[in-house]
Amino acid sequence: MSSVAAGVPLPLATGQNKAFNDKGKPMEVRMSNLVAAKAISDAVRTSLGPRGMDKMIQTSKGEVIVTNDGATILRSIQALHPASKMLVDLSVAQDIEAGDGTTTVVVLAGSLLGAAEKLLQKGIHPTIIAESFLKASAKAVEFLTEISVPVDLNDRAVLLRAASTSLNSKIVSQYSSTLAPIAVSAVTRLATPTSSNVDLRDIRIVKKVGGTIEDTELIDGVVLNQNVVTAAGGPSRIEKAKIGLIQFQLSAPKPDMDNTVVINDYRQMDKVIKEGRAYLLNLTKKIKKSGCNVLLIQKSILRDAVDETSLNFLKRLNILVIKDVERDEIDFLTKSLGCKAVSDIEAFTEDKLGYADLVEETNRDGTKVVKITGVKNKGRTVSILAMGSNHLVLEECERSLHDALCVIRCLVKKRALIGGGGAPEIHASRMLSQYAQSLKGMEAYCFQAYADALEVIPTTLAENAGLNPIAIVTELRNRHALGERNAGINVRRGTISNIIEEDVVQPLLVSTSAVELATETVTLLLKIDDYVQAR
Amino acid sequence: MNIFNDEATEEKAENARLSSFVGALALGDLVKSTLGPKGMNKILQSMSSGDINVTNDGATILKAIQLDNAAAKILVNISKVQDDEVGDGTTTVCVLAAELLREAEKLIAMKIHPQTIVEGYRIASDAALKALEKSAVDNSANPASFRQDLLNIARTTLSSKVLSQDKDYFANLAVDAVLRLKGSTDLEHIQIIKKVGGKLTDSYLDEGFILDKSIAVNSPKRLENAKILIANTSMDTDKIKIFGARVKVDSTGKLAELERAEREKMKAKVEAIAAHGINVFVNRQLIYNYPESLLTEKGILTIEHADFEGVERLSLVTGGEIASTFDRPDLVKLGRCELIEEIMIGEDKLIKFSGVAAGEACTVVLRGSTNQMVDEAERSLHDALSVLSQTVKETRIVLGGGCAEMLMSVAVDEAAKRVQGKKAIAVESFAYALRQIPTILADNAGYDSSDLVAKLRAAHYEGKSDAGLDMEQGCIGSMKTLGVTESYKLKRQVVLSASEAAEMIIRVDDILRAAPRRREAV
Repeated sequence: MSSVAAGVPLPLATGQNKAFNDKGKPMEVRMSNLVAAKAISDAVRTSLGPRGMDKMIQTSKGEVIVTNDGATILRSIQALHPASKMLVDLSVAQDIEAGDGTTTVVVLAGSLLGAAEKLLQKGIHPTIIAESFLKASAKAVEFLTEISVPVDLNDRAVLLRAASTSLNSKIVSQYSSTLAPIAVSAVTRLATPTSSNVDLRDIRIVKKVGGTIEDTELIDGVVLNQNVVTAAGGPSRIEKAKIGLIQFQLSAPKPDMDNTVVINDYRQMDKVIKEGRAYLLNLTKKIKKSGCNVLLIQKSILRDAVDETSLNFLKRLNILVIKDVERDEIDFLTKSLGCKAVSDIEAFTEDKLGYADLVEETNRDGTKVVKITGVKNKGRTVSILAMGSNHLVLEECERSLHDALCVIRCLVKKRALIGGGGAPEIHASRMLSQYAQSLKGMEAYCFQAYADALEVIPTTLAENAGLNPIAIVTELRNRHALGERNAGINVRRGTISNIIEEDVVQPLLVSTSAVELATETVTLLLKIDDYVQAR
Repeated sequence: MNIFNDEATEEKAENARLSSFVGALALGDLVKSTLGPKGMNKILQSMSSGDINVTNDGATILKAIQLDNAAAKILVNISKVQDDEVGDGTTTVCVLAAELLREAEKLIAMKIHPQTIVEGYRIASDAALKALEKSAVDNSANPASFRQDLLNIARTTLSSKVLSQDKDYFANLAVDAVLRLKGSTDLEHIQIIKKVGGKLTDSYLDEGFILDKSIAVNSPKRLENAKILIANTSMDTDKIKIFGARVKVDSTGKLAELERAEREKMKAKVEAIAAHGINVFVNRQLIYNYPESLLTEKGILTIEHADFEGVERLSLVTGGEIASTFDRPDLVKLGRCELIEEIMIGEDKLIKFSGVAAGEACTVVLRGSTNQMVDEAERSLHDALSVLSQTVKETRIVLGGGCAEMLMSVAVDEAAKRVQGKKAIAVESFAYALRQIPTILADNAGYDSSDLVAKLRAAHYEGKSDAGLDMEQGCIGSMKTLGVTESYKLKRQVVLSASEAAEMIIRVDDILRAAPRRREAV
């Protein structure tokens, strides 16, 4: 076991610095952690890169999801082992921080754990491995930043390239020419030159089954999830729309207290019906009086949002009705339509309405979509209408679009790009192993192992593309050693080429955050030596 | 003859002692490996929910495990007390108590009466505490060196935690936070917000208070010079709270009137609230659409459904009272702050209150890769913060890295020479148990503990009273130059509680287990 120390000059090569001899049980626990975590990373490994495969997931409810998004796969795997749960969390964290690279981060963590396992077997103390790994990751980030290229957010072509690189590894890759511009326009519309973050909640993706992914479009205005209520034959197209958003209901009055209407004879029955109609007529008239001709009604769990009678009145007054607006949509709608939510009929006045040139329900490929276009004083929001032939494709399209949006957002957060195709990993790995030679002691070993572990990304890319990983990775290393810092794997052609020229680029933040987060999780895992069953 | 109830059990003399020793030692061995900078973490997996927790905080581990042993429960208790009193050293206290018991077991096997052992331990702990006090240094007179002390303590505490790699960063953060408190030990003023995503060093200290909620839809997202009314009141309707109350009407028109009346009532309530002259209204409960829009019309920013803890803290830091009736605006104390704005951390929007009335209040935003990471980081930071806040009060410090323990052990050995009778053996055992702490420290790091501890002891006998274990190099070094310092109060509390707990367990010679309470008709 003490063979480790041989050849490496230790600061104090006397008796007390003998190899770390672990006790039986902690080693067992650690190994079980490593095995479990590596199993998770192996599960998603094949979905990495443009030639990665998809996974079909059957959820406990019997739903089927087809995806190659690491975060989605891992979220659906019901991991039992504590260590594998942590890897699932890791991918979620990457999703939050960068939005893309959720598979990469897990694969990287798996590879680092493999490296750690070998180091442990050599008898290096886990805390030394953990510390050195953290230092190595800081160095790696430094190297990555070094080869990054600054990005100007006005340079649309560059942003498009980054978005399509991300989309190329998804199921929807053949539509990247459609989706990439959408993602870029959506984020750039929200970002200002000074903003350091973009709230993706201001980008709304409305999914409609029908048509193909190619029909996905960025709407200049707002798309609604809901359809127009046409039960009573109301209008479905309004020009010069004045939009009111109400949070009260157009149905029979219902106080919060329990109540009963006591009816003694049939005359009273008539009276009840008449009064009910009068009540609704009064409400609808007041709405009309304000000039409103498009009405969005918030969903209510206590009572019907609208009933037949009021719909009928609204139709007569030529008001377009959309019901079942969720409460959490209100924020987005008020922001994008420039209207204010009204919660009481008394407060329903003209100044609270929003104005749009056209509100129209169009019927395309059997799906009805309500679009609001030409909105006056609209806020900084964006709507995307996603189309797809079935639910599975549509869901995946949304996830991919989300990833692409995140990629652009990363560029807003940290305005720098690096190459894809394994180029940055090889670069960091090479520089790290050079750096390792300037170190001494166990750290040198750990740095070297860390550098080797980084090579998992190009190796997996090559493997998934059906190339010979060893030939490709060694060739790649060779090219880098010869000074071609941007050489990467061109998966399409199966060769090595200058990856920047091939337009395969990704945000710096995705790579750095993957390296940092993966290392952090690995160090936490390494330090575990026991399980305790708790209450 | 059966004196006890059916299911009540009794363990006597040797058996009782054996069972308490076994329990306590097992517990000590369990947490022992988490001790020190090279200590390991444990996974706590919940039996019921399957949630996992990764920690090396002794108190957290001990709290979580299920025990069926009286002596072990005493150890859990002293670690809890240590957590409440000082906040750190929870593992140390448990390990030291277990080591004292291990020694006691040997002494009992040598047929020394438990009471004699207790007497010996008393003498020893007195001697140890005296030596500890003598070695304590007080730097509080000089602010610069005191700050350095605090930094060193924070670094020493954090180096045994998950934050060890970034200990300098977090030590600074913790010291800044504690110095803001200006001597108060009320950690309520330091709020810790955890958000997954980002890396540990993305964490930061912010002045003011952050509430994990969002501002209501129509309200402005930024407000200066806020006057805040904090309330816990239902903002749906003022219902009559008599069960089964219902109204009977004979027409829909009356129903509509009733509905209108309810609205008017709500409006009146909103008027009453607005009469306080406020521009921010924070409610613990939901605020429904109608009152919300009324409040917005009056230019009042509303925050609904704030969590209970959040409301309490908000009231603490802004100086406002939590109100639930609004008839007497003159009696309600309003909270104040200079600026309220919405900020984004990761993907979440939160509300930040800056320039609050309680100037010492601040918030630490913790980021990390996984839930387990941020949870553990929070525990570590909490330990550091509580130790620091205690140190601000009791400013004396001692040296760590096994130095203080060795120092005490030497003093106890000296004392043993002057003790007459069998007690002397117990006193020596106490010294031996104290030496186990550096031994375990070295063991955890994979160093040759017997060699190192022997060298350490020799160094102390030679008069190098600042010698301790250098865990980086695996040799003996001066703790003073390495800056490994710990709070005097912490160390004192460890020795006190551990020896008291050990005494208590040694004195036990009979364990009675009461019959479980019968449950009727299960």
